[in-house]
Amino acid sequence: MTIEEIQYKIIEEFSLMDDEFEKYKYIVDLGKSLEPLKKEFRTEENLIAGCQSEVWLKAGIENNKIHFSADSNALITKGIIALLLRVVNNQSPIDIVNNELYFINRIGLSSNLSPVRGNGLFSIINWIKTFAEKNL
Amino acid sequence: MTKFKEISTEELFYKINNDNAKIIDIRTPDAYNGWPERNEKRGGHIKGAKSLPAKWAKYIDWIEIVHSKEISLGDSLIIYGYDEIQTEKIANLFIKAEYPDVSVYNSFVEEWCANEKYPMEKLQKYSQLVSPFWLKDIITKGTAPEYKNNKYVICHAHYRNREDYEKGHIPGAVELDTLYLESPETWNRRSPDELREKLENLGITCNTTVILYGRFSFPDNNDPFPGSSAGHLGAMRCAFIMMYAGVKDVRLLNGGLQSWTDEGFEVTKAESRIHPVSDFGTDIPSCPEFAVDLPEAEEILKAEDKNLVCVRSWREYIGEVSGYNYIEKKGRIPGAVFANCGSDAYHMENYRNLDHTSREYHEIEKNWKEVGITPEKFNAFYCGTGWRASEAFFNAWLMGWSNIAVFDGGWFEWSNNNYPFETGFPE
Repeated sequence: MTIEEIQYKIIEEFSLMDDEFEKYKYIVDLGKSLEPLKKEFRTEENLIAGCQSEVWLKAGIENNKIHFSADSNALITKGIIALLLRVVNNQSPIDIVNNELYFINRIGLSSNLSPVRGNGLFSIINWIKTFAEKNL
Repeated sequence: MTKFKEISTEELFYKINNDNAKIIDIRTPDAYNGWPERNEKRGGHIKGAKSLPAKWAKYIDWIEIVHSKEISLGDSLIIYGYDEIQTEKIANLFIKAEYPDVSVYNSFVEEWCANEKYPMEKLQKYSQLVSPFWLKDIITKGTAPEYKNNKYVICHAHYRNREDYEKGHIPGAVELDTLYLESPETWNRRSPDELREKLENLGITCNTTVILYGRFSFPDNNDPFPGSSAGHLGAMRCAFIMMYAGVKDVRLLNGGLQSWTDEGFEVTKAESRIHPVSDFGTDIPSCPEFAVDLPEAEEILKAEDKNLVCVRSWREYIGEVSGYNYIEKKGRIPGAVFANCGSDAYHMENYRNLDHTSREYHEIEKNWKEVGITPEKFNAFYCGTGWRASEAFFNAWLMGWSNIAVFDGGWFEWSNNNYPFETGFPE
């Protein structure tokens, strides 16, 4: 699926939810499905600055597709990462750079996360975009 | 779905000493602290209540804030506020989150506040921590509750980042670079003569009401100047220096610029006119006791009834990082009491809520008490160069603690003078 198609699907899923709490539960459940990052990758180097909770991100490229793995010590953050990775994982660097991740706004994540956590989300997106740019 | 119950004033009165009961105040942090926002007879909150502003319910991660406040499923919850509809909305959210025992209390203003028999608490100097509504009143009407002055100056604090002011500030606010008040050589407060000149140039006398705030724009410790993005922390630093200098009425906008914009109030790019004054009006420093330096810091460490309080992050405390790109040495002052600031040198998560309003003061007090920081003792707060220490100091001052100071030089001065230090986990 393309980034565009996945974003559309996520927006559709979220449109069925009644309120912010439903969204929260959904995101946390998603986080539980995220494969834990091996302990040896939980390093200072892979730690993302600007997050309220600890977030580790690691990326590799194969056949022009980027594969991300990530982890966090907070459930909600893990869920948000899982959501992001669902969109950008196994996509090409050029697609990641060129596609705006508008689903974040449309599902209310940018305005409805508490300010500190909201910043963490943008730090993660920046990291992903920067990695893609470096591998164009 | 379980329904919530409504409880009476007498029922609540009976419950306030019950360990299992958690009373939850959903009004603004300012009303909680003491501002009577509905002209109630007594300001403040029900004794023992926790602050959980209804505003936070819009956050997807609201329930995590609830958990962080140790409100657990086994508790008997009593929710109250000013507005019945809002109170019910929050009660329903708790029910949705599967809290089995939820009640609402709807007679706070009419019955609880009106009768001295029912115990209340407030932040002793709540009037020095102001809401955006209070500030708006001052700006638009020239008058506001608990303001009996006719001269005020609003300061938009920043650190070497004039752009931060230019891209939008509260109407009427003047630009205040922290460098006006602290020296980049030592990062200590400037000399009395320099302070006098800067304050007079800003139009501030000892009798001016000064309201400070800054913008938190997500400092990154890897930036060359992370302090440039920690404007509200800079405001705390300037507040402390002004109090030391002798400004009698120093106030902080609770939450900084964020709380102003959260209310939908406008910011402006128009530079405000400054009206310099020719005489600050008193000797500087008028409150020298608010600042201590190296020799006193050493003495404090020897005294049993005094604490040197380290308002740094854990990684700085154990010497894993220095915290700053301009400080080389890593470690802690031996004997200092650790009062964890949060994640790093530019963050104060343990002293703030997620929207940058000041954390519920009972929580700060409880954390301090656990490590022996109590008002009976003399407490001198320090950090790397004084910003975080100033925020802790301001919190203690708001609580009415009188034996407090900032050890201005902090780790920067201590380590530069080759004083002894420790690293690793404390014994």
